[in-house]
Amino acid sequence: MLCERCRIREANIKYTEVINGIKTEHNLCAQCAKEMDFGPYSAIFDGEFPLAKLLSGLLGIGEETQEEKSYKGIVCPVCKTSYDDFVEKSRFGCQDCYSVFDPLIRDNIKKIQGSDRHVGKVPKFQAESIQNQGEETKKQGPKKELTPEEKIAMLQARLKEALQREEYEEAAVCRDEIRQLKEAAQEHSENGMDEKESETDA
Amino acid sequence: MRRWFDDTALDSSVVLYSRVRLVRNWSEYPFSLRLSDADGEEMVNRLFQCTDGWMDEMGRPYQKEWLNRLSELDREGLKERRVLNSALLERKAPMGALVSEDESISLIFNGTDHVRIQTIFPGLALREAFQLADALDDKINEKISYSFDKKYGYLTSFPTNVGTGLHASTLLHLPSLSKGKKFNNLMAEMGRFGTTIRGLLGEGSENYGDLYVVSNQKTMGQTEKEMVDVVNRVTLQLAGQEKQVREMYKKSHKMELEDEIYKSYGVLKYARKLSMKEAMTYLSQILMGVSEGILTFREPYSIYSMMLGIQPANLKKLSDRPLGKAELDGARARYIREELPELK
Repeated sequence: MLCERCRIREANIKYTEVINGIKTEHNLCAQCAKEMDFGPYSAIFDGEFPLAKLLSGLLGIGEETQEEKSYKGIVCPVCKTSYDDFVEKSRFGCQDCYSVFDPLIRDNIKKIQGSDRHVGKVPKFQAESIQNQGEETKKQGPKKELTPEEKIAMLQARLKEALQREEYEEAAVCRDEIRQLKEAAQEHSENGMDEKESETDA
Repeated sequence: MRRWFDDTALDSSVVLYSRVRLVRNWSEYPFSLRLSDADGEEMVNRLFQCTDGWMDEMGRPYQKEWLNRLSELDREGLKERRVLNSALLERKAPMGALVSEDESISLIFNGTDHVRIQTIFPGLALREAFQLADALDDKINEKISYSFDKKYGYLTSFPTNVGTGLHASTLLHLPSLSKGKKFNNLMAEMGRFGTTIRGLLGEGSENYGDLYVVSNQKTMGQTEKEMVDVVNRVTLQLAGQEKQVREMYKKSHKMELEDEIYKSYGVLKYARKLSMKEAMTYLSQILMGVSEGILTFREPYSIYSMMLGIQPANLKKLSDRPLGKAELDGARARYIREELPELK
């Protein structure tokens, strides 16, 4: 269901109001809920939900601020839209954003759309250009390869979203992957193999 | 100039219009959010060139407009007549439009997405509206290459449109069905069929005029035909149920029904001040009266066109001087008094 206020984002907050015995229900997204005046309860919508925070602490992603920064720092190399921009506006800057942010958004797209696969019409007049695009992405492939830090950041973003949706199985998978990556990175540095040179510019 | 909503056949049906919108992006340019005004203007100019000399279905040329150069009032008018939506109304960047003379077809360039194709047909004609939009889509695609991904389909500015970029909707007049206690449950249940329903006018839970929009909820995971069909089916269901409730009410409360409708006619014919809410409430009764054959006008008239005519921007446009809030209500009452045909 879409948020009844903005009609753009998915509604994930159900707000029941009882005034003089008349009950009305509202379905809002977190951003609109934050903007509305709920009196003393407004604090709930400021920033994170306490529950998610508590759980993220338990699952071992305590140092939110720094890690949050790192995935917020992921930027589309083509149009310079950051993940943060996307979250704020719910809009992409260019067609490449879809592939850049894919690991972060695919679950949400699936949730909003009920599917993550297009089965409808295919453009009739760009068979060649579609092939070319495929080649281009192949060419760009190695360039766009994410560094372990970026992978960790993305996984942390997914972990956080999974927690907010209370999908703990998925959260646990993310947590384990993060742990593996972190351990691998540690082994790497312990073996003295510093590979920073590959990361020059995006 | 006759517009699609002047069609008097509109009033005889519970379904007032069927509307299809497709959004597409040109793969050569970044999406509108990241497109500079200069590049946006260049793109719109190129799109105007691509579509130069195009004719609508009736063989009439499209009207070409730079929306950013139109007055605020004209843009608001286009929004009231559903050519623009509120996001496009606010947009300041160079934006082009090709609009058919009767305003049933519109192509908006460099809106929230690069190309927005919209077709509106009176009554229930969703499939026809889609066919036309689909054909226009192919015609544009002959000239430009779209942003398309094998997995995600047509790539759009908002991920809520990704996939088909399709929005299929119908406008229903449900004065009887919406009075029922179960209507709210029904509205909530619509999601199960992949459709949503919302009131057209009014803020929050308030709705006046009894007009409801049914549309597809999702844009991915189904073919366009399936999406159109589900909206079509739900619309038929709702329209059928509305008709049933009306029949029942007509049998059991004939006098009350006629009284409500004639009283509404009396108020509209003689009132000196009418707010949007009042006018829409009474016009809803008139619309039902016409549709049920209780009221017959001396000359055919489309009540839905009056519902559009009494919107603020249109009244301001008709007036030769700026109108304040109270004056607007006066102008609205005058408009209705003068336009509403005599009864047979």
